[in-house]
This record gives sequence, structure tokens and C-alpha cells, in this order.
Amino acid sequence: MASLLDQIGAVTSLNLRSIPQRGAMSVASVVAVALTIAVLLFFLALANGLRSTVEGSGSEDVAIAIREGSNAELNSVVTRDQLAILATGPNVAQRDGVPVVSGELLVIVDGVKRSSGTNANMPFRGIGPEGLALRRSVNITQGRMFSPGTNEIVVGAGLLREFSGFEFGQTIRIRGGEWQVVGVFEAPGMVFESELWADIAVTQSLFNRPNVYQTMRIQLTSPAAVQAYRTWAEGDTRLNGLEILSERDYYARQASQSTQGFMAIAWILGIMMAIGALAGALNTMYSSVAARASEIATLRIIGFSGWAAFFGTMVEALALSALGGVLGVIIAFVAFNGRTTSTLGSGFTQLVFKFDLSPSIIATAIVVAIIIGLFGGLLPGIRAARQRPQLELASG
Amino acid sequence: MNDFALVSKNLWRKPVRTILLIISITIAFLILSLMLSFNSSLSNVNTLPTRMVTLSKINFTESLPIAHYDRIARTEGVRAATHMNWFGGYYQDPARGFLPVFAVDPETYFQVYAEDLGIPAAERDAFFRERTAMLVAAPVAERWGWRVGQRIPINSNIFTNGTTGSSTWEFTLVGTIPTPPGSSQSGSVLIHYDYFNETITFGRDRIGWVPFLTTSAEMNDSVANAIDQRFANSQDETSTQDEATFNESFAAQLGNIGLVITLVVSAAFIAILLIVGTTMALAVRERTREVGVMKTLGFSSGRVLRMVLAESLLLSFLGAAVGLGLAALILTVLASSGGGGGPAISFAPIVIAWAALIALALGLVTGLPPALQAYRMRIVDAFARR
Repeated sequence: MASLLDQIGAVTSLNLRSIPQRGAMSVASVVAVALTIAVLLFFLALANGLRSTVEGSGSEDVAIAIREGSNAELNSVVTRDQLAILATGPNVAQRDGVPVVSGELLVIVDGVKRSSGTNANMPFRGIGPEGLALRRSVNITQGRMFSPGTNEIVVGAGLLREFSGFEFGQTIRIRGGEWQVVGVFEAPGMVFESELWADIAVTQSLFNRPNVYQTMRIQLTSPAAVQAYRTWAEGDTRLNGLEILSERDYYARQASQSTQGFMAIAWILGIMMAIGALAGALNTMYSSVAARASEIATLRIIGFSGWAAFFGTMVEALALSALGGVLGVIIAFVAFNGRTTSTLGSGFTQLVFKFDLSPSIIATAIVVAIIIGLFGGLLPGIRAARQRPQLELASG
Repeated sequence: MNDFALVSKNLWRKPVRTILLIISITIAFLILSLMLSFNSSLSNVNTLPTRMVTLSKINFTESLPIAHYDRIARTEGVRAATHMNWFGGYYQDPARGFLPVFAVDPETYFQVYAEDLGIPAAERDAFFRERTAMLVAAPVAERWGWRVGQRIPINSNIFTNGTTGSSTWEFTLVGTIPTPPGSSQSGSVLIHYDYFNETITFGRDRIGWVPFLTTSAEMNDSVANAIDQRFANSQDETSTQDEATFNESFAAQLGNIGLVITLVVSAAFIAILLIVGTTMALAVRERTREVGVMKTLGFSSGRVLRMVLAESLLLSFLGAAVGLGLAALILTVLASSGGGGGPAISFAPIVIAWAALIALALGLVTGLPPALQAYRMRIVDAFARR
């Protein structure tokens, strides 16, 4: 057994050290794998960044009430009466004797995308007086919060980075009314950072939506209280037609809706390119086997087994594709990891997020590279192992 | 034996290698044609230079009062105007995708979109006559299995039907709209605005947006200014754009699709270029002795060069043809299973032109270095080398 391992080791090092002789083709196959991996990583990192931003936005101890069947806040309706009832539920957190709840209305306004100069949909959210208290990870970093009852807005830092028209201190005219940007807030890695916030009552009146609410957010005393709250709401006929779920579950549902498309593109393109790269790898390895035909034949005659020839070819293929995989990951890190971008989210508004290469995505990409190497080495390896020594030497 | 026979014999002397190369090239052209088709279905909806649209200045999801429509229609330079509302439609299960249902004013809608609405007069008149009538783009009817004459319940994820208290409306399908590639009606489901407006519980007498035709494209700017100024500083300010600009900015919302497509297609082609280029070089190097023999027999250097180039071009065009064929097949299958949500992705003719151009370039770039090598090769060296 040890002798077979020795043989494999000898043939493998022979293969690897002779790669430079087949330089151009080996480089081509490494680059093909690298580009395949880079394209796969581009879409996977995009989907992952989008997902983690949306998923990370929800708190476990905040319940959200939304119209049943509405897949986004935009087409949900919650009445003023329902709002009042929802505030009286069990385990609703209180602050100075006031329930920490926020009835909200999301409308869409136009912003201008900085990179392209084109108009884009910005979410403009009217929130209740407790709306900020509900979102504990939000911090005002510049200026101050809007004063209730005034035409003041605060703007998310993510939105400001990608879109223009809402700079701090600016006055904005919407529907004949003027709004003053009095503050900038940060909510790193959350959808809220792509939003504009204003007072709910002023929003309703200036957008001509008197007494219209789309969702209600309710701060509960603990994550465990959500279940009891939902049971209570289901038992009240006046709340029929409303769905209650934790904010975390709500955003998790949104996340899967938004990322499905990108995941599909990632894998469809990734698999297609992998097939192309595999064809290249097979070619390289067949050429490698053909170029070393007489070497292999000589080794076989002096007693090396077919397995050694097989493994030598296999290891060469794996080394090339793994190198390609690593190169692809490096390209991904340099070219786009951590870059900020934006796209239409499930609420039909722009969502700002960052490309995010997580360890599991990188592992996935390396596995794909290795699979290309395995298939690329398999058939040429078998051919190497089955070469009949006498014939090869006779013809060489 | 003519030169072409020799070229194809050379190409197929190592069939496994050639097939692998064709697979690589096929993949690159498949990616190219799928992406270009996707891109052109996003932006290449047929537009008329004289067709414009007025929307709320805040955002197109905000509605306008119906009175705006009359004023726009009477603006100087406007030939015909109509109005549309987004219904937020879906059929049975919202999870199966939305239906682009628009509540329209039938007669004016047929004036403004006349070129894409060449349907039988009987179907058109039935749509005009019957308040609960519905016209549907042919692929949409096909996807959901609807037949003309059927009553079809459509749900709205926005509005409530005041007559039933539910979110469901019933419409009679009176005809289908054929949708050749690029048709502006490719996903349309059309219903009557009047019926919609009378049955909804909120948002009455408001319209989504106003598409209209100008008398000539030179009038576009002045008409847009006149309309937007007419409503400036009112409760409902407007923004008027020509159709092509509006479509572009809409597609741009998804992100810089053009750039992503360029990057992905470039990545695929760089990879394939390297693979094919190095393999072609190897293939010609292997034939050094043969080139020597051919030149000894009296083949001119130019003829040898042309033969090597012909081989790489043949390879490139074979791969391109298979790739385009596969793409057309995939898009046909997708079109028959999808449909409904958004414009259908169809095989764009422009793809063939691009593919031919790129196949030519790929064949030349990969074939030229080995062809030049064969061209310059001296007979003495050819036989000296092993």
C-alpha cells in the first residue's frame, strides 16, 4: 500500500512540476474557473447582502399588524379603530404610561440615483410619536429627530449615500407642501436606513390620505409575548382580516421574496459558466495526458500502477481548478465585496445594501471550483490509467 | 479534395477536443443571447416618438384627480389622451404572481395604443359595449387557461369591491390581444375604468396616469411644459415625459442592468477566448509537420493561413449557432410556462446580429496567431521540429 502511495506521490509531483510546460492552456483553464467563480460570487454576494439587510431589520419583540394577504406595507390597510384596539392588547410595553405603538403609512416619493441621475422610488414613512422608541438600533447621527406635528423629516444615511434630493438642511417641496430635512439617522444593515421618516399625522394630511394607516407596530415586553398577543388579536372579531406576526418574521418573509430572483440568476449563470469552464478543464487535462503519453508509458513499464497515473492527472486538475477558485474569490473581494448598491425591494421602493461575501458563500464557491476539477480530472485520468504502454512507446 | 473538406477534416481529427470547445463556445453564446434578450425585453418595448405620459410629480404610484385628464386632453398639441389605473390584480393565489390589470377608458385607450390593438372589430366592440368586459393579452389568457366568453374572478391586493365587500371582481373575457415581440400590450389585462371607479370603496375619481399622443414629436417639449406648468403649485403636480424616457427610468430602478450584463458576458467570453485560443494554438502546433508537407506540395502560405482561419471561424460559428438555437429553445419553453408578470422575454432579432459579429471576432482572434505561425513557417523548420 505504501508503495502505491509513493507511486502516486511521485507521479503527482511529476505532473505538477510539468504544468509550466503546458503554460498557456493551464492558465486558460485557471482563468476560466476564476471568472466562473467570480460571476457566481457576484450574484450570491448580492443576494446575501440584500437578505441580511432585510432579515436584520426586524426585532423579535415587536409585533406588526398588516392586512391579511398583503405582501407589502404599500397595499395594506389598518383602520384607526383597529389601531386603538391593538394598543390595548396584552403585554404591550409602556413608556411613561403610554403604550409603545406606532401606526404607520408608507408612501413613495421620487429621489435621484446619484450614480445614474435617474429617478427612483424612495420610501417615505409616516411614523407615530413612539416610532423611534420602537426601533432601538436607530441613532440620529446628525441634527435631531423631527418634532411631532411639523413638516420636518429625518433621512436614512443609506438613502443619502445613494440618492440625492434629501440632503441635511434642505427644504423639499412635495404636493405643494414644504418639508425640512432636520436630521440624519443611521441603522446599519437595516432597511430603515433607506427610508425617509416624518410625523404620521402630517404625512396623512399632506399626502391627502386622511386617517389612512397601513401597518401598526407594537412593542411587546418580550419576544415570547408575540404568541399570546396574536392569540388575543385572533379572538377579537373587530381585528378580523389583520395578520399579526413578529417584525422579524415579517422581514424574513420579505427577504425570501426579494432574494429568490437573484439566487436563481446566480445558479443558472453559475452552472452554465461552470459547464463552459469544465469543457476547458477537460481539454487541458486531455492535452496534458496526451503530452505525457510516453512518460506515463515508461512509468507503467517500470512497474507503476494505473492508479498512480490516474491520481497524478486528478491532482493536477484539482490543483488548477482550486487555484482558479481562489483567484475567483480574490477577484470578488477586490471588485465588489462591501460595495454599496441599491435595487427595488419587495415594497416597490429602493433598498440600499452592501455586497456581502459570507464564509459560507466562499465555501460554496470553492466547492464548485473543486467539482469542476473533479469532473475535469476524472475522464482524462481514466484515459491516463488505461494507456497501453507498448503502443504508446511504439508510436512515440 | 477541396479546401473546405480539408478544413473540416482538421477540425474533427480530435472529436472530443472539438466537441468540448464547441460546448464552451455554445455556453458563452447562450449566456450572451439570454442576457441580451432579457435586456431588450426590458427596454425595447415599441415606443412611439409622439406618445407621452403624465404622472404625479411625487411618484407614479400617487394618483391624480380625474379633472386633470380633461385638462391634459384639451392642451394644445395633444391629439388623443387616455387614462389608466393600476388595479393590483392577481388570479386566485397572490403567490402565483401579479396580473398587470389596468382600468382604462376603452375608446380613448384604443386611440392612443392603436398600433398594438389590431384585434377583430367584433371583439373590440364587445369590449366597448360591456361594462364588465375584459381584454387580455394572448399569452396571459394562455397561461391561465382562460377562454373567450368565460367569466373570470380577479382579485385586487389594493381595492375592495363595494358591491360585494370582498376584494374580488368578475369580468367577462371578450377577446385576446395578439402580442408580437415588442408589443406595448404584452402583459396587459384591460378592464373598464367606469366599472372600476363605481365599485371601489376608496380612491374614487382618481386616475393613475395619462398616456397621450402629441400631434408631432417636435411638440413634445412644449406640450410637456404646458401641462406641468398648468398644475404647478397645485395639490397634484405632474411630471410629463415621453414614453421611451419613462420606460428607461423604470428599468433603471432595478439597478444598472446594462453594466451587469456587460460584465457577465465579458467574463464568459474572456474565459472562452482563452480556452479556444490556447487550444487552437496547440492544434496547429501539433500539425507542424503537416503544414510542412502541404507547403512542400505547393500550398501557398496564404492558402495555409486561410485554412487555419477557416477552421477557427467554423468552430466559432458552430458554437454560436448551437448557443443561439439553445437560447431560442429555452426562451420558447419559458414563454409558454411563464407569461403574466411583466413583459415576456422573447428572442430578440438583434441578438443574431450581435452573435454573428462576436462569432466573427472570436474566430479571428483565436485563429489569427496560429494561422500567422503556419503562414510564416518555413518548410525546413517544419520538418526539423518534433
